[in-house]
Amino acid sequence: MENYSIVGKRIPHRDSVEKVKGSAVFTSDIKLNGMLYGKILRSTLPHAEIRSIDTSKAAKLKGVKAIITSQDTPLVKYSISPTWADQMVLDDQKIRYIGDEIAAVAAVTEEIAEEALDLIEVDLVELPGVYDPLEAMKEGAPLVHDAVRHNISKKLTMECGSVEEGFAEADLILEDTFKTQAQSHSSIETHCCIATCSPTDDVTLWANSQSPHPLRQRLAGALNIDAAKVHIITPYIGGGFGSKIDLDPSQAISVILAKKTGKPVKIEHSRKEQFMATRMRHPTITELKFGVKRDGTIVAKQAKVVMDNGAYNSHGPAVLAYNNVMFSTLYRVANIKYEGCLVYTNKNWGGACRGYGDPQASFAQEVMLDMIAEKLDMDPIELRLKNANIPNEVTANAVKITSCGLKECLTEVKERSQWEEKRINPKKYRGLGVAAMIYTGGGSIGSGFNYSGATLQMNADGTLHLLMGAVDIGQGSNMILTQMAAEIMAVEPQSIRLTTADTDATFPCMGTFGSRVTFCAGSAVTQAAKGLKQQLLENAAEMLEANIDDLELKQKKIFVKGSPQKSLSYAEIGAASFYRRKKPLVAHGYYNGPEGISPEFDPQNYRGYPAPSMAFAVQVAEVQVDPTTGKAEILSLTAAHDLGRAINPLLAEGQIEGGAAQGIGWALMEDVQFENGKIVNPNFHDYKMLTIKDMPKISPILIESIDPNGPFGAKGLGEPAMVPTAPAIINAIYDAVGVRIKDLPATSEKIYKGLKEKELKTS
Amino acid sequence: MQSKHRIQITVNEEEHDLLVHPNRTLLDLLRYDLGLTGTKEGCDEGDCGACTVIVNGKVVTSCLVLAVEVDGAAITTIEGMHSGDELHPIQQAFVDSGAVQCGFCTPGMILTTKALLDDIPDPSEDEIKHYLEGNLCRCTGYTKILDAVNIAIKQMK
Repeated sequence: MENYSIVGKRIPHRDSVEKVKGSAVFTSDIKLNGMLYGKILRSTLPHAEIRSIDTSKAAKLKGVKAIITSQDTPLVKYSISPTWADQMVLDDQKIRYIGDEIAAVAAVTEEIAEEALDLIEVDLVELPGVYDPLEAMKEGAPLVHDAVRHNISKKLTMECGSVEEGFAEADLILEDTFKTQAQSHSSIETHCCIATCSPTDDVTLWANSQSPHPLRQRLAGALNIDAAKVHIITPYIGGGFGSKIDLDPSQAISVILAKKTGKPVKIEHSRKEQFMATRMRHPTITELKFGVKRDGTIVAKQAKVVMDNGAYNSHGPAVLAYNNVMFSTLYRVANIKYEGCLVYTNKNWGGACRGYGDPQASFAQEVMLDMIAEKLDMDPIELRLKNANIPNEVTANAVKITSCGLKECLTEVKERSQWEEKRINPKKYRGLGVAAMIYTGGGSIGSGFNYSGATLQMNADGTLHLLMGAVDIGQGSNMILTQMAAEIMAVEPQSIRLTTADTDATFPCMGTFGSRVTFCAGSAVTQAAKGLKQQLLENAAEMLEANIDDLELKQKKIFVKGSPQKSLSYAEIGAASFYRRKKPLVAHGYYNGPEGISPEFDPQNYRGYPAPSMAFAVQVAEVQVDPTTGKAEILSLTAAHDLGRAINPLLAEGQIEGGAAQGIGWALMEDVQFENGKIVNPNFHDYKMLTIKDMPKISPILIESIDPNGPFGAKGLGEPAMVPTAPAIINAIYDAVGVRIKDLPATSEKIYKGLKEKELKTS
Repeated sequence: MQSKHRIQITVNEEEHDLLVHPNRTLLDLLRYDLGLTGTKEGCDEGDCGACTVIVNGKVVTSCLVLAVEVDGAAITTIEGMHSGDELHPIQQAFVDSGAVQCGFCTPGMILTTKALLDDIPDPSEDEIKHYLEGNLCRCTGYTKILDAVNIAIKQMK
């Protein structure tokens, strides 16, 4: 294995000193001269027709500077992809969920803006609403979007091999239904943006966006303005988890208000708005049918999925496709069938959320595997090993796998969790459960794009400046990516000046999602660094009159091997290049892969899903259930993750620990609850997330499968971290007390009810 | 509009003489009147702990405290933890342990830890968790935050 001096080191986040001092500037910390405060009037009805809006009283309130309605917008429909466009910044016809934007105000203070909202008179005609996706698909159900029949936004079908033939040769067939609930991203920082618009219509938007470059395009599209006139700046971002990828209506609204008033306009979501009107994890109903041989070989698997889209598409169609890809690609199964429906309802809508459709697939499939293992009297880890993916295979659904550490993950968790000892000698009310997962290790070019760009330049004084489109939302890419550049350039990562995620200053990057930054932005950064290194070497070879192959980089100097006295400092090379040779030292890197998309790729159902690598993970949960209350306590979680190579183990562990916390929350307590379209728990008091008291001991295990295409062999890790946690816990609860939870979250009530039902059956 | 009240407070050892509206929260006073934006707003309902500051030695969620209530008080915010480039041992421990990811909860976490260690210099794990229970973090799973507190305890002995 290569010997790296910076890659593989445990180095804290690049920005942590600023963050512990409180001097890191987040969007909400910015105050501009003459800044106004924007507030949005949101619907309190789930489904209604807009008759009229009267803003005259509000306009008279002292301190109000502008009020906008749909008439102030271009009425252009948008979404993350033009083919899914179903939303307008402010709709002129209909309200589709509680929280839908109707109008907005800019005023000199937040209080006046709020007061003005109360003075806007809206004449709405309430329409019957539909909140259950199964009801929404029925003939005659109210239509959320008038032109969309049966409220089905997207229908996916895929069959590989023949499940009919597969089931015919199976020794055991199991069928069951699994349900998952809405989860809120709940980053501690809410959405916030500040817009300015110059007299020449140049727009600057400070926004906590996970995808500033795509945001620039989407904002321009939704407002019908020239993207070349839009500048997006991302200050520090207080977490995202997928919620901050899309164009949020508040961002477009702040621009319109800024244009109308000629002043900067800031809009910051309250926590309630964050729950009501930003994205969440799509709830699903999954019917599974599995056929297996007596030896554990899965011969056929079939899923029928109904995904509750909510009122608008956002990422919904892609989340459904990912649900299919991850369900179908995990394990080596010859016959697979998938049918998925994405269904509109009059509720807040789903979006990208850590795992992107995979947690729902993993929950259903991994609990099903536990049920199969029990029926076959087979160890659940052995069952998974029997069917595990292997390196360099092409799966039945035409997904190309490069590196694959799934088997290593399974054997490592088995040993580290003391699986065998604890399963052989079980303690009362205690149990162990296992679950595996697959996810992309570097985004996908399925949408046609998977781009990341970087520029590395050496200044005349020999210092380095890295400019990249990638955005650090807390996951640590600012350190990971500078570590890669530093390794190649033989400098300390902290010594590299860094500019990120500014659409005027950096090459574009798709953004932070899809566990793609380490792989894609890392590929761009390493390419740029290698290019700059080559330039340095060529300069040095000429200046030192040496052969380029005899040169090496060390401590900001270039040496001739074997002649330590013959060297040049970076500063000497930099100065010579800039001033004497008049050739600035700069290199670019750009990634947009993978190359060689399978001819079998289907852009609808994502058969032949084109990802540059796939990541794997296995987690084992140990759980204790209190039989008097039904409460499940997680005692430990052993989490093995194939991340290709750990560029920075300290930060990798942080991703696994944080992901596990979100996975445990989803498994046991987190649930965005609706009553007739209204969220009844839109705050941290009623929406329960894990506190430090709820957190068990996490044992991260880093499996380095060294991906042949990844930068330094690395793959993505962020999203996988939460995917297998819930099914591992659910399987552990079954092992502990024999209660099988098939609809999340596994609340104490559900477990207690299961215990009582079991007692009744046995008595 | 209601008349303003005059208050005198000491923030990070600096005295301030201020006129505030009776409905001004301590959080808004710190962030908007004094420009101390290290104190964060996460929920404005006292549930998340991002706005934690220390008032007369006790941790408070500053979004739930009115500015007029702290007249005469001594307040410590995150900006008062370090002196120049020299970090407080708790801050240094948070950096070294990898306890900082997005950093939005970090100031509140550090101030709660400060109050904890001022009250109990050698706390048990239960005591640490009892103090930090009111500070939500969505990134780290708290594991490295707990590591940081334990390192700080050792450093400060």
